[in-house]
Amino acid sequence: MSFVLVQVIVGGLLLGAVYALFSSGLTLVWGMMNIVNFAHGDFVMLGMYVAYVVYTLMGGGPILGAPLATLVLATVGVVVYFALIRDIMKGPMLAQILGTFGLALLLRYSVFWWFGANFLSMPQDIVGGTYAFAGLRIEASRLLAGVVALLVTLGLHLLLTRTSLGSKMLAVAEDQTAAQLMGIRPDTMQAIAWAIAAGATGLAGALVANFFYIVPTVGETLSIVAFVTVSLGGFGSVPGALVAGLLIGVIESLSGYLIGAVYKDIVVYVLFLFFLWFRPQGLMGKM
Amino acid sequence: MRRLIWLSVVVAVAIAYPLLLSSPFQQRLGALVLLYAIAASAWNIVGGYAGQVSVGHVVFFGCGAYAAMGSYAKFGLSPLLGIPGGIVIAVGLAAIIGVPTLRLSGHYFSMATIAVAETMRLIVTNTDWLGAAVGLSGPTVPRNIFDLSFLSSLPYYYLFLVILAITLFITWWMTNSRMGFYLRAIKDSERAARSLGAPASRTKLYAYMLSAAFTSVSGALYAMMFGFVDPESGFGILISVKILIMAALGGAGLLFGPLVGAAILVPLEEISNSWLGGKGAGLTFVLYGAIIVLIARFQPGGLLSLFTRRRKPTSDTGAGHAP
Amino acid sequence: MTLKHVTGLLCAAAMSLVLAAGARAEDKVVKIGVIMPMSGGTASIGAHAKAAIEVAMDIINNPHPELGNLPSAKNAGLAGLGGAKIEAVFADNQGNPATGQNQALRLITEDKVAAVFGSYQSGVTLTSSAIAEKYGIPFLNSESVAANLTERGFKWFFRTTPIATDFARIYVDFLADMKATGAKTDAIALVHDNTEYGTSVANTISAAFKEKGQPVALDVAYPVNATDVQGQVLQLKDKKPDVIIMISYTSDAILFAKTMQSLDYKPAILLADDAGYSDPSFIKAVGKISQGVFNRSSWVVGPPGSASAVIADMYKKKSGEEMDDTVARQMQGFFVLADAIDRAGSTDPAKVQAALKATDLKADQLMIGYKGVKFDDKGQNILASGAIIQLQDGENYVSVWPKANAEKPPALPYKGW
Repeated sequence: MSFVLVQVIVGGLLLGAVYALFSSGLTLVWGMMNIVNFAHGDFVMLGMYVAYVVYTLMGGGPILGAPLATLVLATVGVVVYFALIRDIMKGPMLAQILGTFGLALLLRYSVFWWFGANFLSMPQDIVGGTYAFAGLRIEASRLLAGVVALLVTLGLHLLLTRTSLGSKMLAVAEDQTAAQLMGIRPDTMQAIAWAIAAGATGLAGALVANFFYIVPTVGETLSIVAFVTVSLGGFGSVPGALVAGLLIGVIESLSGYLIGAVYKDIVVYVLFLFFLWFRPQGLMGKM
Repeated sequence: MRRLIWLSVVVAVAIAYPLLLSSPFQQRLGALVLLYAIAASAWNIVGGYAGQVSVGHVVFFGCGAYAAMGSYAKFGLSPLLGIPGGIVIAVGLAAIIGVPTLRLSGHYFSMATIAVAETMRLIVTNTDWLGAAVGLSGPTVPRNIFDLSFLSSLPYYYLFLVILAITLFITWWMTNSRMGFYLRAIKDSERAARSLGAPASRTKLYAYMLSAAFTSVSGALYAMMFGFVDPESGFGILISVKILIMAALGGAGLLFGPLVGAAILVPLEEISNSWLGGKGAGLTFVLYGAIIVLIARFQPGGLLSLFTRRRKPTSDTGAGHAP
Repeated sequence: MTLKHVTGLLCAAAMSLVLAAGARAEDKVVKIGVIMPMSGGTASIGAHAKAAIEVAMDIINNPHPELGNLPSAKNAGLAGLGGAKIEAVFADNQGNPATGQNQALRLITEDKVAAVFGSYQSGVTLTSSAIAEKYGIPFLNSESVAANLTERGFKWFFRTTPIATDFARIYVDFLADMKATGAKTDAIALVHDNTEYGTSVANTISAAFKEKGQPVALDVAYPVNATDVQGQVLQLKDKKPDVIIMISYTSDAILFAKTMQSLDYKPAILLADDAGYSDPSFIKAVGKISQGVFNRSSWVVGPPGSASAVIADMYKKKSGEEMDDTVARQMQGFFVLADAIDRAGSTDPAKVQAALKATDLKADQLMIGYKGVKFDDKGQNILASGAIIQLQDGENYVSVWPKANAEKPPALPYKGW
């Protein structure tokens, strides 16, 4: 295997980890509440802008920006839940698409109105440049995002499987009425789930901002990737999103390098469709 | 009887509109409303009545648009002659897509249709014969009436009106046939419908193919009116989202829902763009987004559901519960 | 009930339209419709264009004797129409060919504009100019480069910008000169997105080099608004071309600069085809790590006190941005249109069309570095040209080629960061 190919695969894994990072929040609400959040990409975008504002106002890097973005987005998540999601959840799936798509436009163009349409960017060395190991080059900012992706996946997985809060949330997802009879308040659980999901998404945005450009429409670019990642991984499966993200990242990188970049997305979509044929519940989803 | 009276009022208003409001922009707005109403009504057959939320419906729209422009650009024929070809391609594609994906439940079906539409957009973008990223243009100077390239929007308006009427009539006829009966049963509970002997897969597939045919026609008409199609305006996922939103906003699964949705959203978009777009502050979409959010929040079944007698509590239009 | 609602809504929609069709143009005001992308992914272009055209209106409508030979600058308003003022009516095309056409129709029929100006994306220019053609209203385009725009046999369409064949000639000549000074320019790689702009410009450049007997060694196409470009940079790093010609919008240009740094890759010559590399956001974002990048530009800020320097200053005051090539070409196009209306002495479309056809502006009457403005039968400016600029010492481009107008000599090799 040529050396370049190793770099391509490593790059693909890091990219995939980032895909997984900004998909984990989406899969959580999708699986738990059966809601497709079309505004997901714009939550990522908000996280990026929070990080950018933190940087320009206080000169803070990700150490300050990432927690703040998590906090701000978690708050946004709770507000959105009580103002919109709680009600459209009761409606048909179409109302959810309608509501979250409208929300996407509202968020995207409010930011546009405030910040303008110019492309923004963080300084290249905000996380600490690039590491070179034996000729392999890895950007510190991408490595940070990759490591955080693993931690977030692990954290969410443990939260859902090992804590009483997690079991309560799953109970609500499973059967609201039964959960209610057991003294669990569905509203509170779902609001917490939204806070966690949006917070994780904000965190993803803040970390992606370190090596990507920032613009109000950036969510559009990122949201379809997140949708495919989540479907491939299985709705609601956080580890599934990680595996799917890594897989997509590597497939994209390899096909982009070997076949040509303009075909890499076709390869991903076609593989995704084939996969759905054989395993319609996704990699790690439950039937 | 009451329904007939109302129906004739709507028809009369529709026929009179471009004569009463006769400025070119008003006429074009009317034509656009009808055009989107055709697309949204076509989507409604599978998305509303069959409860299969296809988000990638633009794939059929693009087939029609490319067939019409290709007929002119590649063979020098009238774009009109591309329409049958577009229908054949769209229906064939619907069958190919439908057989595997209609088995998928709820959200998986939606996601699969998005993937198909994106794949198609990328393939066309990389196909030189179809004009690649440059797209295909219609006749710049019309050779004859069959080029369907008019200065006035009036001919488009009445053409679209006739085609909308046909679409709605066939939809109405379908809902009152055995197929409509099956569709309602499947939408309520696919499992129950199957156990009672309804051919669920076949019925859904037929609805999907019928929907694809009309969507393809709307795409062809769109391309003829604007005289141009490129991968983004033919296969861009945002077009299907727009169509879906119109149907959902007016009332999915209701005959006139898509028309109402189009009659609200198209003028809202064009007029708010005319008023606010030039300021360059993105306010058009802040307004547009806010209105959609409010409707979803307070009228999740679509605006028309306000007025329809409820046969039963809000039915769960295609909510994607895993089987 | 249902249907009453429908009728009600239709009426409401119609009513608002009637109201929207506002007052007719006042006397002594010449309206020009300006269609630009003001939302969506290319919205920053529209925002910059708007500021530039507002500056142009200030220059035309108020006396600006300091601007020398620039037509319509000296006196207030358009002399040919008794000092009438120019008023731009802005419209957002949302980057969408259909929206662009609807807005063109509105501007022509509701706002009764004397001419239409726009529309950035070639696809949008194509559809919006088709409406102007049908109505017989002059349409001036200053920045869309698709070749087919002037091949449609239109009589009302005029384009001031240089197009892909002009760019290709510039690159061929520039690289030949570089070679003469000892630089290695044998293996050329083209890197471009898969949009209409990226593919058509790449194809034209590729053909031009082939004609010179130096076929392009590597063609790297990538999807626009990419999430990742490591694969492409690695491909380049692997093949080691001497020259890279980048044809990219801002988003991808930023990503390429960042990725090239992180993978530690520098070609000897990095030559960009305007677009993203001219966007001030690009320089702010990654200028520091793109030192020595060459870029095509027709715009060069002249010495202090020169007309172009004064205009650049006015623009900066208005928008807070440095003037870039795209905006300058747009502003120049607007001046050409205003000048034609001035000479026509009327807003009658046929007279404006005749005046546009008769346009013969010399280089010293322009704010930009074209050799002049003169349209051929198809409406293309045959005197459009460009120069090569380079990002040297910090965040400003300086002109380096052709030698006659160069502020500094070109610095080789590409420094990067």
